[in-house]
Amino acid sequence: MSGFALARRTAVRYPARTCLAVLGVAVIAALNFDMLLLSRGLLLSFADMLGGAGYDVRVMGGGGVPAIRFPIHDAAALADAIRRLPQVGDVARVRLDQVSAAGPRSGPEQAVTLIGASLDAAHPIWTITAGRSLPVDEQGAPPSVVLGRSLAAALGAEPGMLVRLRAGDRDGRSLLPAIACRVVGVADFSLESARALTAAVSLDTFQAVQGGGASDEADLVLVASAPEVGPDAATAAVARLRPGLHVYSNAALVEQFNRNGFAYFRQMSLVLSTTTATFTCLLVAVLLTVSVNQRLGQIAALRAIGISRQHVAAMLLWESALLVGVGGAVALPIGGVLARALDDILRRMPNLPERLHFFVFEPRAVVLHAALLAATAVVAAAYPIWLAVRLPIAPTLRREVVS
Amino acid sequence: MASWKELLLALALVGPFTSAGPVAAADAPQAGAPADILISRQLMRDAHLGVGAVVVLATDAEGTRTARFRVAGVYEPVPDPMKFNVKRFEARLHLPDLVALTADPGDPQALESVTAINVALVDPAAAARVAADVSRRSMGVTVRPVARARDDDPFAALDGFHKAIAAVTVVGSTAFLLALMVIRAEERREMVGMLRLVGVPSGSIVRAILIEGLVVAVAGAAFGVALGVAGQYGINRFFQARYDTPLLFVRVTASIAIRCLAVAVPVGVLTGAVASWTLLRRPPTEVMGR
Repeated sequence: MSGFALARRTAVRYPARTCLAVLGVAVIAALNFDMLLLSRGLLLSFADMLGGAGYDVRVMGGGGVPAIRFPIHDAAALADAIRRLPQVGDVARVRLDQVSAAGPRSGPEQAVTLIGASLDAAHPIWTITAGRSLPVDEQGAPPSVVLGRSLAAALGAEPGMLVRLRAGDRDGRSLLPAIACRVVGVADFSLESARALTAAVSLDTFQAVQGGGASDEADLVLVASAPEVGPDAATAAVARLRPGLHVYSNAALVEQFNRNGFAYFRQMSLVLSTTTATFTCLLVAVLLTVSVNQRLGQIAALRAIGISRQHVAAMLLWESALLVGVGGAVALPIGGVLARALDDILRRMPNLPERLHFFVFEPRAVVLHAALLAATAVVAAAYPIWLAVRLPIAPTLRREVVS
Repeated sequence: MASWKELLLALALVGPFTSAGPVAAADAPQAGAPADILISRQLMRDAHLGVGAVVVLATDAEGTRTARFRVAGVYEPVPDPMKFNVKRFEARLHLPDLVALTADPGDPQALESVTAINVALVDPAAAARVAADVSRRSMGVTVRPVARARDDDPFAALDGFHKAIAAVTVVGSTAFLLALMVIRAEERREMVGMLRLVGVPSGSIVRAILIEGLVVAVAGAAFGVALGVAGQYGINRFFQARYDTPLLFVRVTASIAIRCLAVAVPVGVLTGAVASWTLLRRPPTEVMGR
């Protein structure tokens, strides 16, 4: 009889302990699996989110201190120059400010992040869920606005209705008049949090809400590189256009995020993965050791009838592999459910973009999970195997008979 | 991360180090002498500065607007969990010096402008009312209490995450302890069967097994707390060195230790009860395998 068959029979003979051990391994391995998902989840999600809008290069007026905004001057001329570059496929200018918005029904004004976007770009930086995207505004008609889902719900506004946008916050301190805008669509803004109140208008309307004037500034210029050259060449070409600008490819931003913002979760994942793997190893080793101690007579009898040391060692290794293997397999669906629950908890952090997730599945995590469990099974079986193969046959059998 | 050279205030060392002792930043500079500034410990170390050194601060990397300052001392930035992975390359200037360096010469109001005013209230509970009052009276000023509501606190979510992980670990540990207790119960089947046959009441056997489960769980929890207490020193030292911060990353408090033991007690009782049930649900002869 092979070592695997002996191990399988042992597992079947003691169903309660086998089930409990498998359950314990499954729960802890599920946590371990989740930590593997967490180790790169935020990074994958961030990269996906940045690439989602279709732009792979970002141009900013300043870097290093995100709280302080450095507007880009002569933004229209810069955008035209960028568009003429052979490495570039599309360009969008973006302006951002805090304004207040009032809905068609009576109710409190809402503090809103207003996005002003150039309409000559091929890719809008939002995904329309109802109505349509921003058209070019007609002379004499109210300017158009696209509302984020949360803002549309807060104002009770739908496509076709009028909302009023006013510079300044909602405490009524701005002297600028409110601008009535017609809602043309409701959209998801990929970089905004689920609770954020966001609206998008054309750059002209944005300027009108700010009180008019001839400001030609942008807070951000988004660039889509030409597919045949890629973002690195586009980044270099844009950076050469105007010294002093901060030009980043999405990959560079992800790398920066990996070095800074993501460090906490990566290290937490490393610490918890190590802890849970050690925990699983220790507990399986304890269970196997107690089980071997309980079966000393049985093992001595097997050795006495000619079963080799290697065979006994193989049996114990298989026992460990069965417990850890079955537990590890059960851990995958449990880990999936647990990851969703943990993701929901972490996504309660304020101002987190709606599309950002902490736990993201990738095949690499399953391969790592399997490798970790295989190593755990081998290490956990080492001590019980050492006990079993060094067992003196005759004294053990005598002790069993006497007891 | 932007290097310190790329920060808002680019810094360049122009003078040799001197061996002068610490000088209070509030000391009034002599006429024509560079004004005093304080430099964060991290910047002092990485820029190889010393107290008394004369440095040039510039508003941009090209050095279009600059001013000379003398390093009067070094300070430890206030530990901030939101900035634990940010290099704290910072300098503290007297407000007039900073305004003179950074104010837009074309804006006559720039010399009278500040970014923020911090206010400490006599009664912190009145923060919302005071904020509303000041807000009503001041055009163009945003007034916010600094205290965060629980919904806006990122650490509340992290706290929930850690608790969820702890709960999952408890479930896994309970399964393992149950398996261990069941194995121990099987080991003692014959002895328990004999005890029952000679008239030892089932209640005594149950109590013995419950106490065993309880002792294992509580001893395990106590060992875990001791391990945590011992480990926190190493973890804190590692992360403090890694991020160059005096922040505490792990702290085992009395409340945590008590909670740990409070969870261990029901787990021990539960596993003991299940183990004793496996021995007492059948007649003694059957338990003995006869």
